Amino acid sequence: MSPGQRPMPVPADQMTRQIVDEIYRRESRRVFATLVRLLRDFDLAEEAMHEAFALAVTQWSESGVPENPWAWLISTGRFKAIDALRRRGRLDGLAAEIVRRIEDVASSNAERASHEIEDDQLRLIFTCCHPAIDPMVQVPLTLREVCGLSTDEVASAFLTAPATMAQRIVRGKAKIRDAGIPFVIPSVVDFQQRLESVLAVIYLVFNEGYSASSGEVVTRADLSGEAIRLGRLLLELLDNPEAMGLLGLMLLQESRRHARVTVDGDIILLEDQDRSLWNKSLIKEGLLLVERSLSTPRFGAYSVQAAIAAVHATAQSAEQTDWPQIVALYDALLSINPSPIVELNRAVAVAMRDGPEAGLLLIDSILRRGDLVDFHLTHAARGELCRRAGRVAEARAALTQAISLARQEPERRFLSRRLSEL
Amino acid sequence: MKYMLLIYSPENAWIPEEWKQCVETSMQICEEMAAKNQLISAAPLHPVATASTVRVRDGKPFITAGPFAETTEQLGGYYLIDVENLDEAIAISSRLPPAQKGTVEIRPLFKLDGLPAEKHAIESSNSETSLKKFMFLCYDDEEAWRNAGTQAHHAAMQEAVALTKRLDAVNQYVSASPLHPVATATSIRVRNGQRIVTDGPFAETSEVMGGYYLILARDQKEAVEIASEHSGARVGAVEVREVFDLTSPVMRGSPLIL
Repeated sequence: MSPGQRPMPVPADQMTRQIVDEIYRRESRRVFATLVRLLRDFDLAEEAMHEAFALAVTQWSESGVPENPWAWLISTGRFKAIDALRRRGRLDGLAAEIVRRIEDVASSNAERASHEIEDDQLRLIFTCCHPAIDPMVQVPLTLREVCGLSTDEVASAFLTAPATMAQRIVRGKAKIRDAGIPFVIPSVVDFQQRLESVLAVIYLVFNEGYSASSGEVVTRADLSGEAIRLGRLLLELLDNPEAMGLLGLMLLQESRRHARVTVDGDIILLEDQDRSLWNKSLIKEGLLLVERSLSTPRFGAYSVQAAIAAVHATAQSAEQTDWPQIVALYDALLSINPSPIVELNRAVAVAMRDGPEAGLLLIDSILRRGDLVDFHLTHAARGELCRRAGRVAEARAALTQAISLARQEPERRFLSRRLSEL
Repeated sequence: MKYMLLIYSPENAWIPEEWKQCVETSMQICEEMAAKNQLISAAPLHPVATASTVRVRDGKPFITAGPFAETTEQLGGYYLIDVENLDEAIAISSRLPPAQKGTVEIRPLFKLDGLPAEKHAIESSNSETSLKKFMFLCYDDEEAWRNAGTQAHHAAMQEAVALTKRLDAVNQYVSASPLHPVATATSIRVRNGQRIVTDGPFAETSEVMGGYYLILARDQKEAVEIASEHSGARVGAVEVREVFDLTSPVMRGSPLIL
């Protein structure tokens, strides 16, 4: 029989490899999270997980894929960890304690309900976003340990040298280990405050991707994508109104990604965007989340911001936007979370509702207080409103100041163009 | 896990009534912790004005009056606790009254083998021996130790263990331990009822608290002499502070400092 007569059968080991690859993509971060809980050591867990997956390739091609691959991987991972500890000759007090814990938990593990397994991922998120960890470290640690991004990927996403990023991640892991940060879902007393740090980290990742803090590019889609993935995971694990609000907010902002810059990377203001480019399915999903969140009594700042994004998303044009509604939502946001930035946004909404002079009065009072003086967008907004009010000289001065304060190249280009059009 | 809670607050921030309230609340928290076997030891320190700081250079001790560093908030007391994890340490720290005026710095203890067993119970009997209790706050330059290499660091640790054994042999040892590097520190403040948790120590200094001793000595002079024997005094500095005896009545009534 010549090879051409029937299709070549896929060799068993190659098929197993494909299955293992698929499980790796789907399950590896969950396996990792559980191993971290058992071993309380990120590096040991990472190493054990990789060894377990490597063994799966050879073992499953001989004996077939086990009925519960997840339980097999955990069980194999824990034995690999014990091996590793023995190899290092570190089976001292601490290691013996780890082995005891592994063995205690192992038997009950296989029967654990899947929601409990997912709790391990939630534990890991809360651990990486613990307030006792430097905020500069929380973000890369979450991306590395929860999302499974490599250190190089995290470094390039933040335009940071890999060595610097690696150092931050090592510092975070050492803090967790030596300071005794637990792998737990926080108690009811601490829950709200701790959830806020988790949401803040996710939103920070999103914003870093949506509007890079410096440099040439305006958007870095991969980071926003990771943040949305984290937001979805959090909501899956935790039915919480603010988790809904945050995911809704991110989806609604993400929906405008392709409309907010030109092909040359120039910024297009919301009012000038081609709304047909907005992603309808993201808007639909975002709107549903906002509605669900606002129907609960415990919604907060993220849900209100999402509601503002939702008003924009449902408006046919800038003129037809329900500006009174947006001003009212900013008032609500100010009562939850008073900040000069929120005031500045509200001032712009007031200008859209009542005319530029009304907005300028508010911006000038913020500046008089000494707030947001060095923030380029304060002067950009002021310049724009002065232009609309016909105060050209003032508009020119404000835009010039905004350009000198802006850090992003596309923002500087946009503001310079605005200035030259005056 | 064992943690040291370092209580920093401005010494002049307490009026007598607040101080009384602070002492009562602190005592109550101590009793609760003791009932759960979480409390190893706790006490306020005498004001920084009574502190001496010892440095040993070229074999000669240099003693200065006053604390290791002048800060707006001063170390006024300590707690040594044994709890499950950092979250429990944070929960306790944020209940301590000085967290509302100053900062509670949480430092995990570094487990050093060879130290004598702790003698905290001695504090109830030391009135008969007329010995006073002192705390040594050992300030180290972590960078200098890293540069010196693990071998030098290990040798210094062993020298410190030997000192504790010598003190133990003459019944002047209470407790001692190195701390994990300052990168593992967590600071707790409570403002307007809101708890603020931050990574890092109470204040950024080039020399950082790297360990402590609790010892018994006849007077400050003897305590300073003992402190100059600490290996770290040759590289960093040791601040010597007398510790309030919790059993003495001066503690409850005094408008002094925590």
